[in-house]
Amino acid sequence: MYDNEYFVVDMSSCSSTGEIINSLSLALETLNHSGKKIVLKLNDGNLNQSQMLSIQSLITSYGCLLDTIETINPETASVAENMNILVQKPIEKRVEDKSFIQSDNSGFEKFAMNPTGENNDIIALKDVNGLHFEADLDAIKKQQDEINISADLKNAGINPKEDFNKIEQQVISQYKKPEEVINTIDEFSGINNLKTDLTNKTSVALEEIEDYTNVEKNSIGVYKKAYDENEIDSDDWEEIDFYETPTTDPVISDSKNTTYINQTLRSGQILESDGNVVIIGDCHPGSEIRAIGDITVWGVLSGIAHAGYKGNKNAKVRALKMNAVQLRIANCYSRRPDGTNIPYIIRSSIFTPEEARVVDNEIMLFKINQN
Amino acid sequence: MAGSVIVITSGKGGVGKTTTSANIGTALAHMGNKVVLIDTDIGLRNLDLLLGLENRIVYTIVDVVEERCKLKQALVKDKKNPNLCLLAAAQTRDKSAIDAEQLKNICEQLKKDYDYVLVDCPAGIEQGFQNAVAGANEAIVVTTPEMSAIRDADRIIGLLESKEGVEKYRLLVNRVRPKLIKSNDMMGVDDVVEILSCDLIGVIPEDTNIITSTNKGEPVVNDEKSLAGQAYLNVARRIMGEDVPLLDIDEPTTFIDKIRKFFAKKVQG
Repeated sequence: MYDNEYFVVDMSSCSSTGEIINSLSLALETLNHSGKKIVLKLNDGNLNQSQMLSIQSLITSYGCLLDTIETINPETASVAENMNILVQKPIEKRVEDKSFIQSDNSGFEKFAMNPTGENNDIIALKDVNGLHFEADLDAIKKQQDEINISADLKNAGINPKEDFNKIEQQVISQYKKPEEVINTIDEFSGINNLKTDLTNKTSVALEEIEDYTNVEKNSIGVYKKAYDENEIDSDDWEEIDFYETPTTDPVISDSKNTTYINQTLRSGQILESDGNVVIIGDCHPGSEIRAIGDITVWGVLSGIAHAGYKGNKNAKVRALKMNAVQLRIANCYSRRPDGTNIPYIIRSSIFTPEEARVVDNEIMLFKINQN
Repeated sequence: MAGSVIVITSGKGGVGKTTTSANIGTALAHMGNKVVLIDTDIGLRNLDLLLGLENRIVYTIVDVVEERCKLKQALVKDKKNPNLCLLAAAQTRDKSAIDAEQLKNICEQLKKDYDYVLVDCPAGIEQGFQNAVAGANEAIVVTTPEMSAIRDADRIIGLLESKEGVEKYRLLVNRVRPKLIKSNDMMGVDDVVEILSCDLIGVIPEDTNIITSTNKGEPVVNDEKSLAGQAYLNVARRIMGEDVPLLDIDEPTTFIDKIRKFFAKKVQG
């Protein structure tokens, strides 16, 4: 929506002007985006002219320009228009209210290939924010706390080197009690409404995706080694009619929980996980692993592995030795080339760690560390 | 004309039901029939391995029953012979995942499009057996010339007789070793037939090629040199209604003996 010269700052989670200024200064300082045009996203709170001026002067002091304000409050909008600032209504609504910064467009590219258009951007935003900015956010909040504490200490006339007890009390008082936190959350009931709105919309979008995939047919091919020069003989793509697995959430695996298992998976056993899976041991033929995220096997993988089975094509399957009967990633299916079943005896002696990824809707094997 | 549904059963495990199913199926398909093999051994499937189709299975019979896919999607085509299809069993479930009525329905549907529907039955006489027999109108009882296998086969024949729908059943004597029969260490085929008082459909000699073919995932009927393969081809012809005399399984043994003697003389000389 905005290109690279814009820097979008999301302040919709801030309730007071002081909070906005505080967060904004931290954001500009930490992320070093001087010289850019700032797009400020605000919630429905009312800002008067002096408050708006102070925000503008703050942004100018960092060498940026306050270009656009996104708000749904008419009074704030009219104040901004008097100051020659563009006003827009928010196009995409927030799902996560905890992250207040949304930067360049890297998130959009990944999901540009999604077939259903607009509604997917909402999901994408949620994922991108949750993923990339969690770490930054923590760092910023930490800094914020430190600055607040030091300022308060100054006000109280305390020299940190002299009185440790007082500092401790000061620090403890900085953290709100649980009840207060809950109260502040209640103030944002408007945001909660937005949330339910969004989930309704998303579910509609997901239904569309399901319809789309149910029509699409697929075939099962052989998985190939990306580094192998010898081409596999040409019974590659074979017509087995099956419908794609219904994809639901496109999930990025990094933000998911990991199941850790320290035993051999035997024939007939299924391991299903709504996150990533790590197995220390072998997976025998006839076993099946399904995960929303990645699958890592520290041993011989000979069963069926289905990574990202709810539609995450970025999911990967890794194993010390890849001998899988079938590899499935999202809705890409592939099978082992005929006649490459490694006999039981030599299985554990030599390991060739490999990683399976989707390249152009085909599953390819890469040596680990190979790009 | 609707095809016939043939169940391959034995009661006792390890007598060669699955090997027989794979080979007869392949042989029938070779002769131009449209054949579908159904593996009903849910939880302990092996038929896919013998045919070398393990890596091609996406949907199983349980998926068909639970309506996750259509019947045609679950049929895996053979690597070499387009006339042959496999409906695989699920490995991650157990026998109670399907019931007799559902399997009967599947057989009825397949009967319309295929000349032969071969049902590979699991060992035992419980749910798995009841499922497999449900849709069949013909049965092949596999046994070996051993007392335990014969007793179990007798029990199975009794159960088949009491079943409605199974019009005829025939006996297949597997893993016969003519040498042992000659030296009176093994029961003869005639004795087995007499004990069970049942029509004979074929005699399969013991053959080491079976082991290698199982590991390779290629049925032994594809191997023209294999004696067991020839015997299975004859069984397939008899199923199609041809009148084929029993294979003389004695001769090659003596031939090999002749060579042995020849070499033995040479070494001595």
